[in-house]
Amino acid sequence: MIDNFCVFILSNNRHDRVYTYNTLREKNYTGKIFIIIDDEDKSHNKYIETYGSQVITFSKDEVAKTFDIGDSFDDKRAVVFARNACFDIAKKLGYTYFMQLDDDYTDFRWSFDDNKKYVTNKYIQDLDKIFKIMLDFYKKTSFTSICMAQGGDFIGGENSGLSKTFLDGQISRKIMNSFLCSVNRPFQFVGRINEDVNAYCYFGYKGYLFMTIAQLRLEQKQTQSNAGGLTDIYLSSGTYVKSFYSVLYNPSSVKVRQMGQNKKRLHHSINWDATVPKIISEKFKRYDVSQPKTN
Amino acid sequence: MGSNCWLGLGLLTMTIQQKLEMFDNDEQHLIDTTYTKKVDVPLYVPKYEKPNIYELYDNLKAIKLIQKINNSNVSEDEKKFLTLAAYRHIIFSFAKIADYYAHSSAEMQELMEQSALVIVDFDKAIEYGFVALNNQLSNQYLEEQSDR
Repeated sequence: MIDNFCVFILSNNRHDRVYTYNTLREKNYTGKIFIIIDDEDKSHNKYIETYGSQVITFSKDEVAKTFDIGDSFDDKRAVVFARNACFDIAKKLGYTYFMQLDDDYTDFRWSFDDNKKYVTNKYIQDLDKIFKIMLDFYKKTSFTSICMAQGGDFIGGENSGLSKTFLDGQISRKIMNSFLCSVNRPFQFVGRINEDVNAYCYFGYKGYLFMTIAQLRLEQKQTQSNAGGLTDIYLSSGTYVKSFYSVLYNPSSVKVRQMGQNKKRLHHSINWDATVPKIISEKFKRYDVSQPKTN
Repeated sequence: MGSNCWLGLGLLTMTIQQKLEMFDNDEQHLIDTTYTKKVDVPLYVPKYEKPNIYELYDNLKAIKLIQKINNSNVSEDEKKFLTLAAYRHIIFSFAKIADYYAHSSAEMQELMEQSALVIVDFDKAIEYGFVALNNQLSNQYLEEQSDR
């Protein structure tokens, strides 16, 4: 068990399909798990029946007052409320570090072996150790949040964008799905949807550091086969509306463009050079010799 | 092919680690002796030449918007607001900005840092942290695979 650390699973209206819970236990995560639901969830009692005191309920209306939703719509079927609620919940529970997960993870796998060779069928067996390794790195550095990759990042296998980034010795400054956070390094998810992209672009632009660990990946249930939860809002508005939220927050570096070979769809496209400041070695910094060094 | 061209091609094909080493060979032993496997560190290596400051941003769209705002009939306060909002469309090149930073005065660097135009890896926290992370993940991978 890892000290001062817990996992939050964000769920909505699918108490019987919180796949992530069992996946975590099967992969030998032995620490605390809390299921985060909102106070408008009609299946609240069923969550309690299944998970008892592990269920934490937050007020959607109260959380809505704390961040910018980015529009004037009234559709509240969005995960952004739960994402932002987690920081306060962790504080109240007495945890400094937490990992925020969605409820539809069916597996955790390796993406690269010890020689940086791309792999797909190597299954993570000890999540306690993996989370501890992630936390060690997180504590030693100033990253605001770090995460694992997701299966979809590797469409194209070793020729996928994330794979090339990793093999080129670079890091992806994105964060999606599995957010390792600290109550002492708060940030906000903004915008009703595409809140993760909005967050890493909007705050990344201001110098907040985010990173995807490419060697680790989570696998999710196919979106459209797992109805309920957050899926409905995406299906109703499509990726066109979703992608435009990120343009609203970063008009100078995010565009919407057509993607896909056979099935065309509109998706956000990020100009990374215009989105996140570069990380450079301290050796390029000049110090005024009359002033003491301060970080 | 001139020697400068050769140098340019060489830089393109070098890894980030090699580029960093060029700047400071003396520190190489720290990485080689501390960790078992050599890992690329995810730091940007500024170029040798300082770019012109006008290369750091593209403000064409903002200028066009501001011209329209100035030619409009909205109130002065509205013009002020719209002008500020127009700056959101300036496209910064953070690579060029990092290049510029590396060749700037201490005072300019300080101001750039305060504006988060670059992120300085103080005390090599990210560099060493990243190498340690890779090393620990490799070990964990080997441990898990040997158990099977």
